Amino acid sequence: MKALAILPGFIPMDQIKKAAAQILPELELTADASFEKSDADVLIVTTFTKVDAGLLSRMPNLKFIQVASTGYDNVDLGEVRRRGIMLSNIPVANKEAVAEHVIMFALVLLRNFVQLNSQIRAGQWPVLTGARELKGKVFGIIGMGAIGTKLVERLIPFEVGILYNDVRRLPQDREEFYGVKYVELDDLMRLSDIVSIHVPLTDKTRHMITERQLNLMKDGAILINTSRAEVIDEKALIKAVKEKGIRVGIDVYEKEPPDFKSELFSLDNVVFSPHIAGATVESQERFLMETIANVLRYKQGLEPQYRVV
Amino acid sequence: MKGYEALRESIRELGLLPAFGNPGTTELPMLRGIDEYYLTLHDSIAVGMADGYSQYALKPSLVNLHSVPGLGNSIAFIHTASKNRSPIVITAGQQDSRHAVYEPLLYGDLTELVNGLVKMKYEVRHGDDIPIVLRRARAVAMTPPMGPVFISFPMDTLDEEAAYEAKRTGHSPPNLIDEEAVDYIVDRLNHATNPALVMGYEVDVFDAFKEAEAMADALGCPVYGEPLSHRSPFNSNNPRFAGDLLPASTLINMKLLPHDLILIIGGGITLYPYLPSPLLPGKHIISVGFDVDPRLGEAFVMNPKTFLAAAAKKVKHKCDFKREEDLLYMNKVARARSTMGIDYVLYKMKKAFEGFTVVDESISYSPTLRSAMGYGHNKYFTAKSGQLGWGLAASMGMSIINRKTVAVIGDGSFMYSVQGLWTAKKYGLPTKIIVLNNGGYNILKSYAKSYYPELENADYLNIEASITDIAKGFGVEAEIAGNELRELEWLREGSEPKLLLINVDRTVQKMFL
Ligand SMILES: Cc1ncc(C[n+]2csc(CCOP(=O)(O)OP(=O)(O)O)c2C)c(N)n1
Repeated sequence: MKALAILPGFIPMDQIKKAAAQILPELELTADASFEKSDADVLIVTTFTKVDAGLLSRMPNLKFIQVASTGYDNVDLGEVRRRGIMLSNIPVANKEAVAEHVIMFALVLLRNFVQLNSQIRAGQWPVLTGARELKGKVFGIIGMGAIGTKLVERLIPFEVGILYNDVRRLPQDREEFYGVKYVELDDLMRLSDIVSIHVPLTDKTRHMITERQLNLMKDGAILINTSRAEVIDEKALIKAVKEKGIRVGIDVYEKEPPDFKSELFSLDNVVFSPHIAGATVESQERFLMETIANVLRYKQGLEPQYRVV
Repeated sequence: MKGYEALRESIRELGLLPAFGNPGTTELPMLRGIDEYYLTLHDSIAVGMADGYSQYALKPSLVNLHSVPGLGNSIAFIHTASKNRSPIVITAGQQDSRHAVYEPLLYGDLTELVNGLVKMKYEVRHGDDIPIVLRRARAVAMTPPMGPVFISFPMDTLDEEAAYEAKRTGHSPPNLIDEEAVDYIVDRLNHATNPALVMGYEVDVFDAFKEAEAMADALGCPVYGEPLSHRSPFNSNNPRFAGDLLPASTLINMKLLPHDLILIIGGGITLYPYLPSPLLPGKHIISVGFDVDPRLGEAFVMNPKTFLAAAAKKVKHKCDFKREEDLLYMNKVARARSTMGIDYVLYKMKKAFEGFTVVDESISYSPTLRSAMGYGHNKYFTAKSGQLGWGLAASMGMSIINRKTVAVIGDGSFMYSVQGLWTAKKYGLPTKIIVLNNGGYNILKSYAKSYYPELENADYLNIEASITDIAKGFGVEAEIAGNELRELEWLREGSEPKLLLINVDRTVQKMFL
């Protein structure tokens, strides 16, 4: 087996090289995808590297691509299929990180943390705040997949009411176990103090949150998006922030990095993170471990896990 | 005919059976006239069984106690039957009157003993008295507000000649109303800014649920349950139901703060603990029912069902109250799962025992149990007196006529009448018993937490006993529940008595202000 890893330049390559030498000596590491030819049969990539016909044609021996992340938008699936190459992602490793990030957004917004922090940095000592508790609030989760479920597990001790909507309803015993209640999307928007979105982007979910749904929300309610930007109609969102005082936590953008001239970035009640809800030191370590484990599996002649193609 | 024969005829004529008792020698003469006798191994349990039976059936039943010792043993239960408005006819044997002057063994002033606890008391003087006093006893017991009556039978009177002539008696709940009073109350409601309804136990006694809901819908106002109601005050599924009032002045005042007129129907205000706020100052309070309390304000004695039906047609729509769904409930249930918290236990219980009548002696869990299990006609009973030991006895009495009866009892409370299990086994009663074991007197610990913190951890508030072994000793099947509470289904099935012990979370909650 010969393996090639194309990693983004900002990753501490030296450290990884040292570790790789211990585990997979035949692994070649590079930050540059513009090589002329590689005879590697295994390719490891992150989402930062485009895997298209151009790259694939320069790797004639390629049999297995391991994407070291959950998403694999960067891979031309048609081309991979046509060439009969196996493709795996790592679908397990960052759910907890995303769930924590969502709770952080909720707390930061409930506690007016951003304003308090900047006031103190400006030498002020604010005494009265409108900080609110998470306890007793109603948390609406759109999309009860793997991340939605991790979020629920973490929310249980916060003593919140949990509503959810999904194309598929959980079995009744699961609903009981998690203490969640299934409601229609409109009811979820209407009843929740905090709404968090965890759906994949499909034709059905594109702009599933429009002006109509946002208008159902309570004034001052919180909307958190760590899934895909396209799920929400951004113009309607800006309007809801301005007119209904909706507070928002955003991790995902239609274009990344986004157009910073958008009105979104001038609004007070919105907090941002740069699409890193799932990216923590710990989750990167888990990605790495799973990636290595899957490549080792392949090397031993076993079927790699998490096959996408 | 002889006195005991007249007793038998009268009991039949008046439909006073079944009988529950624990007899002694002084009762043997009268026992010749009593059939369908359930023996209990403590006198008081007979009173509790009769209480449960009569409340559920809304008909009288007979209790047979053994002169001073038996009656004395039963005083707390008679007090409870009185508070529960339970139409039971209590009898006791008395020493032979021919040597009463010597105050022989077992002799004592029985009617004095039950003073203040019964609606009528009488010691038979002649055989001829027997049919007459029994007719009177039944009529008094069954007249609302219903309640216990007491008759003492000196041994010798039962062998005296007694004239008996069958007489027809009827008893239907009076359904007269005072039209003028109805119009006055309706007028007050229509002129109020924000009226509230408080419903009480008589709604269940007279099965006035439909009328109560019609009234609530016509007015659109919130309906509260009277504090510590011993029977269902309203259909708790109705969105106008705003929950029970708690039994303390400050808490009642806070709940009813926005209302200017409070109409109490078929119940009253029971208080404990004392809190220093005056009770509902400045509010216009009107009570309606057979069991009205003029201490609270204006009071009109009327059949609550008939009143509700009449008033609902005349009142204006004043508000549009709808109880909000408790969206945090399922989370509470989920959180309670790992610790066997009461919310989890009751959630599972509700699912397993849907449609059952609940007899509640769960003490510190009672408020939670009421709201989790819900109210409906003949669906909820508890002791109005605060006495422990009633739950097991009453549920046994009820289960004679209602196979679907489940008693939910604290481990402490269970011990007061535990030998009732013998009777359940002996007569094959389908009584289903859930004991919530928190290792002691939780409500005392909670009260101590609020008012006397130095006592919260007192060792004498803890009890440990192997309750399932005790039950098995009486021949009653018993299990200890596992985490999934699957044993609830085992408990529900079958027509023999069964006991399930649930070891619940022992955290002492702060229940009092
Ligand atoms: C006949 C009688 N004796 C004593 C009391 C005082 N008392 C009230 S509640 C209570 C403790 C009940 O314990 P348990 O049934 O285990 O319920 P918990 O408080 O633990 O919920 C006691 C002893 C009483 N109410 N009645």
